[in-house]
Amino acid sequence: MHKNLKFEIVRGAASILLALAVAMIFIFIISDVPFEALYNLIIGPFTKLRYLWIILERMIPIIFTGLGVCVMFQANQFNLAGEGTLFFGGLVAAAVAIYLPMPPVLHVIVAIVIASVVAAATMLIPALLKTKLGASEMVSSLMLNYILLQLGVYILNWHMADRTQGATMSHQFLDTARIPILVQRSNLSWGIVIALIMTVLVYLFMYRTKWGYAIRMVGQNQSFAKYSGIKVAATIILCQVIGGLLSGMGGAVEILGYFDRFKWRQLPGYGWDGVTIAILAKNNPLFIPLAAFFMSYLKQGCNLMQLNTDVPAEMLSIIQAVIFLFFAAEQFLSKYRQKLVVKSAKEEIAEKKAAGEQKGAEA
Amino acid sequence: MLQSIIGIIFSEAFVFSIFRITTPILFAALAAVVADRAGVTNIGLEGIMMISALTGVIFSAWTQSAWIGLLCAILLGMLTALMIGFFALKLKTDIILAGIAVNMLGNGGTVFFMYLASGDRGYSANLASKVMPTVNIPVLQDIPVLGGILSGHNILTYLAFIFVALVWVLLYKTPMGLQIRAVGESPNAADSVGVSVNRIKYIALGISGALAGMGGAFMSMGYMSSFNTNMTAGRGFIALAAEAMGRGEPIGTMLTSLLFGFADALANNMQSLGLPQELVAMTPYVFTVVGLAVYAASTLKKSRKKLE
Amino acid sequence: MADTNVAVLMKGITKVYPNGIAANQGVDFSVKKGEIHALMGENGAGKSTLMKMLFGLEQPTEGEIVINGEKVSLTSPTVAISKGIGMVHQHFMLVPSLTVAENIVLGMEPTKGMFINYTEAVRITEEFSKKYNLHVEPHAKVMDIPVGMKQKVEILKALVRGAKILILDEPTAVLTSQETAELFKELIHFKEQGHTIIFISHKLKEIKQITDRMTIMRAGKSMGVFNTADVSEQDISRLMVGRDVVLKVEKEKAQPTDTVLKVEDVHYENEYGKKMLNGVSFSVRKGEILGIAGVEGNGQRELVSMLFDMVPPDSGTITVEGQNVTGAGQSRIRSMGVSHIPEDRMTYGAAGTASIEENLISDRFDKPAFNKGILFDMDAIHKTSDQLIQDYLILCRSGKQQVKMLSGGNIQKVVVAREFSCDPKLIIADQPTRGIDVGATEFIRRKLVELSREGAAVLLVSADLNEVMELSDSLMVFCGGEIVAYFEDTSTLTDEEMGEYMLGLKRQSPEEIRRVIHA
Repeated sequence: MHKNLKFEIVRGAASILLALAVAMIFIFIISDVPFEALYNLIIGPFTKLRYLWIILERMIPIIFTGLGVCVMFQANQFNLAGEGTLFFGGLVAAAVAIYLPMPPVLHVIVAIVIASVVAAATMLIPALLKTKLGASEMVSSLMLNYILLQLGVYILNWHMADRTQGATMSHQFLDTARIPILVQRSNLSWGIVIALIMTVLVYLFMYRTKWGYAIRMVGQNQSFAKYSGIKVAATIILCQVIGGLLSGMGGAVEILGYFDRFKWRQLPGYGWDGVTIAILAKNNPLFIPLAAFFMSYLKQGCNLMQLNTDVPAEMLSIIQAVIFLFFAAEQFLSKYRQKLVVKSAKEEIAEKKAAGEQKGAEA
Repeated sequence: MLQSIIGIIFSEAFVFSIFRITTPILFAALAAVVADRAGVTNIGLEGIMMISALTGVIFSAWTQSAWIGLLCAILLGMLTALMIGFFALKLKTDIILAGIAVNMLGNGGTVFFMYLASGDRGYSANLASKVMPTVNIPVLQDIPVLGGILSGHNILTYLAFIFVALVWVLLYKTPMGLQIRAVGESPNAADSVGVSVNRIKYIALGISGALAGMGGAFMSMGYMSSFNTNMTAGRGFIALAAEAMGRGEPIGTMLTSLLFGFADALANNMQSLGLPQELVAMTPYVFTVVGLAVYAASTLKKSRKKLE
Repeated sequence: MADTNVAVLMKGITKVYPNGIAANQGVDFSVKKGEIHALMGENGAGKSTLMKMLFGLEQPTEGEIVINGEKVSLTSPTVAISKGIGMVHQHFMLVPSLTVAENIVLGMEPTKGMFINYTEAVRITEEFSKKYNLHVEPHAKVMDIPVGMKQKVEILKALVRGAKILILDEPTAVLTSQETAELFKELIHFKEQGHTIIFISHKLKEIKQITDRMTIMRAGKSMGVFNTADVSEQDISRLMVGRDVVLKVEKEKAQPTDTVLKVEDVHYENEYGKKMLNGVSFSVRKGEILGIAGVEGNGQRELVSMLFDMVPPDSGTITVEGQNVTGAGQSRIRSMGVSHIPEDRMTYGAAGTASIEENLISDRFDKPAFNKGILFDMDAIHKTSDQLIQDYLILCRSGKQQVKMLSGGNIQKVVVAREFSCDPKLIIADQPTRGIDVGATEFIRRKLVELSREGAAVLLVSADLNEVMELSDSLMVFCGGEIVAYFEDTSTLTDEEMGEYMLGLKRQSPEEIRRVIHA
């Protein structure tokens, strides 16, 4: 176990270094000021306290989607609708924030709860299609993303749009529904605290409750889970509903904490970021904030790079893809691991032999 | 209302548009067929299409030749699919995750390269890219109705349907096809007679990438005449559904792709009848989910018998 | 040094798998040209690993391989095939939806231009089929042909590729006695034609009958090479397991009481339309062990899946103490007091990547005893798990260890510990000791008898004739999806008699069989 952990750390570091090396190659090819670009990318995010608040603030939505992916991937459900449910959750929260006046605090809570529940409910589509009919949750969840997006934009355009504004956006949220700012003169809201609390709750749920246990067993060996008497279909539905709940909540917290109107007309991409950080965190909820911090830091670095130099920020998606691929690669550096294993197996054999000889000598 | 719908369905222009709309889905679905028959789930089709769509635009603009643009799109599609292969087969990344990574590249990476190539972010306004030619078929074009439906398509549309036959021949009449099917159905059996499972999977992925590449090229050099972000809009995923419903058979997959093309074409026309554009845009995806559900329900009875 | 008479020489072979298991430790193995050489050993002794390396499916961590005097590096089956090595696997390596001819030419397809020349493929198949006297139907799809023919296709595959050295991995395991006799004739024929044969088995009689020499393996090491004529069956068995096998399990006479499991007129057709169960009825009573003997594939597996509701019967009823099992779901079946040791422990019995502790509580994790409010009672879980590890002598560092890191015997003990500790009224034990070491085998058998004497009803399914005859109080024989014999007393049964029933040469009258149905 100890050796495994050491190996995982070495491998993770190697993946990141490789991705940065790829980024460096690109930067040196395309940039006239490569060193400045690199400085902005890597050191930049640490140069101002303000940047730290931005990093933390950008962590919020992806912590939620990352947690959702963790729960679903742990049950081996490749549901990729985090993107759509986050978007839709945000929209629902906005609707509650605009049209249902309530006292402060309560308003926020109700908006988040309703958004989460609605998002969770939409996940019933891929979940039920999977359990009742055996249709791949992956394809249907991908379709769900597009359906929720178009439905959401339709609702925004036709029922929620504030026609007095130049661009398409909703009316302003009631003040009671906004999540207060945590750090003055920044956009960092109390949402980060909610995200961290959810991290702990999801961890407890996965490792300290019977439902989490069932989810993990279904993921590790579905036949075994069924044979053991675990209700596999119910568990598959549960994990996807929780996945939807978490990303819907993420959408709500993001919208109410960062915006004063609903403005999304495209999928914001946090669902895919959630997949990435869940892979970086090896599907362990406790590592999600760490992975989210890293992603968010990279994003900030890329933004600074674009702002101050001639390298576009979309470099991020290349770095992200490379890290993602190597992190998920089981055989990456496997020769190194095999060496460790062989060495310890040999030691064990030698030990046994020595022990046997000693016994022989005693007898 | 119903009458006007029927009027639309039986119009020449409508049937013509079905073939046009089906083209990219069919390419991607054939790509899914070849990969799937070799036992590889290529969910990176969406990303490959995006990458190839951009490649076609950039290289046709640089060389001022649509054909070179197409060739480069095919090559890059192939390379991207082989990259999925490298990670999935060599480094044992879960193939679904490798596909997701490629889709990320297709999303953000294309913007990155488009910006480098043209300074544009939204769509390739500054690139004077080329479009693949349309073909008027002699004799056929003069036949009323039939001519209007079947003639005058983009050359890639004809290629897509030709490839249905080619993929069928490949799978069922050639040694490579036999090996692809063997590897997909029981890799151990293939391995035991010295058929390198990974080699076959790489080849199948390469073919798959080339086909998806053509689909991507059609998007930016036929369907439209420029590249813009998110232009494939889930067609790579719809293709996966079409392939599943076509049971991995080239002919069946062509039929299901046409079905998606029909639904999409119909939805587009509904817009002219005053339906909100967003709801119309939703139809192909809803249709895919419904289609997938119906297909899954129809195979349910058979799979019930299987001892796990 | 090149002894031209030696076909295969493997020197100092060590193989460590990525999970750290050392399957071979410094094994020496050599086979002379033109002999039939047995490779013997218990399951898990390392035979398969050694042969996989010879066929290029695995690479040795250390050691060298010499084929016909030439040092080789067998990096893949392709290389092995090119060196004249062919392997017939225990689990057939055939593509079900392809025809026999297509399977035979796979990877070396004859072509006409760019296309497969199917006529030529059929011709090649027929040519070799005649030459070696192995009858097959070239146009039939492999999924439609009987097991015996599948094996012939496998052998032909190797011969067509020019195999001079044939490895046969437990070839008789799936064959009837007639088919076995036929196979042996064919093997002698190959030998006369100058082929070398390596024959993996653990059936002593077969080995004595057909092989010239043998290598015996135990726990990843070679125990030596012997002339078959010079060693007795007792010697072989001692070398294989390290002591004379103690198979006797002491047990008192069973005193069966009430019926627990009742199976009535169950029918089942598999996905290919083959009738797997044809009107099976029987009952199992408290306090007895009812055994099911039979060649594998005669409906036992389907029956067991049905008893645990993993698959529904086409018709017929299955009840446990009067409650319907079909459609009840595994959770309810378990709450009826049914426990089940599945045949395939890594698919059904355990989650390899989960910890021992997690595997031990999989049937009871939602019980109040392990939950405090909505959270798990971790103390209770640790305590139960540690107790079971201790009681069932599971060899491990701690309950947190991953199950897949354990040896086969210890994994099976994890399964058994869970299934035996839930106070079962009915135990369905399907191949409970397959492929595990002698110590664990004895332990599990004793426990099984103990539980039955304490009042559990036990249904024992085993392909190991010894096991099923020794442990069962009464015994049925399955053949062709039917019960063909029932014996109330197993003590007077002989192997020969059993064999005749198992192979369908004999069957009891319907009245005799009906005795297995108790009120």
